[in-house]
Amino acid sequence: MKILVVDDSAVMRRIHQNILKERGIDEGDILDAEDGQAALELASRNTIGLFLVDWNMPRLNGLDFVQRIRAISGYAKTPIIMITSEAARYNVVEAIQAGVTNYVVKPIKGDVLLEKTGKYLHA
Amino acid sequence: MQAKYVNPFLKASVNLFQNYLDLQVTSGKPFLLKDPKSLYEVSGIIGLAGETRGAVVLSFGRMTAIKIVSRLAKHEYLALTNEVLDGVGELINIIAGNAKQDLLEFRIEISLPGVITGKSYKIHWPEGVPVVCIPFSCEFGEFSVNVSLKDIA
Repeated sequence: MKILVVDDSAVMRRIHQNILKERGIDEGDILDAEDGQAALELASRNTIGLFLVDWNMPRLNGLDFVQRIRAISGYAKTPIIMITSEAARYNVVEAIQAGVTNYVVKPIKGDVLLEKTGKYLHA
Repeated sequence: MQAKYVNPFLKASVNLFQNYLDLQVTSGKPFLLKDPKSLYEVSGIIGLAGETRGAVVLSFGRMTAIKIVSRLAKHEYLALTNEVLDGVGELINIIAGNAKQDLLEFRIEISLPGVITGKSYKIHWPEGVPVVCIPFSCEFGEFSVNVSLKDIA
């Protein structure tokens, strides 16, 4: 199963990728994108089984990405975990309405990320 | 600017540096930043817009920035690389985003972070809004979180 990490911060992508690798996920199964637009392009060329998506990104932000990817039939039910610093209640509501499966507020420790992603991972 | 607008940023900063990065941080008494040039060499900045307006700046000395981002990324950086600057931007992004949960009076949109480096620079803060500086110190050096948020009450 391929996992797509979408975050405009190279440091955050590194952190999330390392956590997944420590969990035993093969490096080749972890893809990354620096914004929603790049993520859409990657998702069109690969079959993604789990998305980890930031909110605030240039070009296409996480919320718009979720709405766009949900409109693609193959990704209507694919798990999407939004990992963002946006901690206001109205942000969480908006993200759920857009179609995210789960919502996690940064900073996030490795064990919490694994707890949130665990049931979707099959490594 | 009222304390209730500063405290969410203080709380978010302590949570990030102390609880998440496991640094023993000491915060000093917040004060009004009179000299806009009295920031450290590396500053991450985020604009606040929506039902109020303002900006938040996280400012570090060079080595403090390198060491704190190394702690964040669990990767040892030796210089002020693009990835370290990216990490500074992410730190201020986390502080601003987390503070929103306690700023209940208004809906706020946060901008993408920017990072400034240099020995002498001036940030053009929102006009007519005071800037409150929260000083911090930790084992990696001193830093500050600077908040300017227009009162609506």
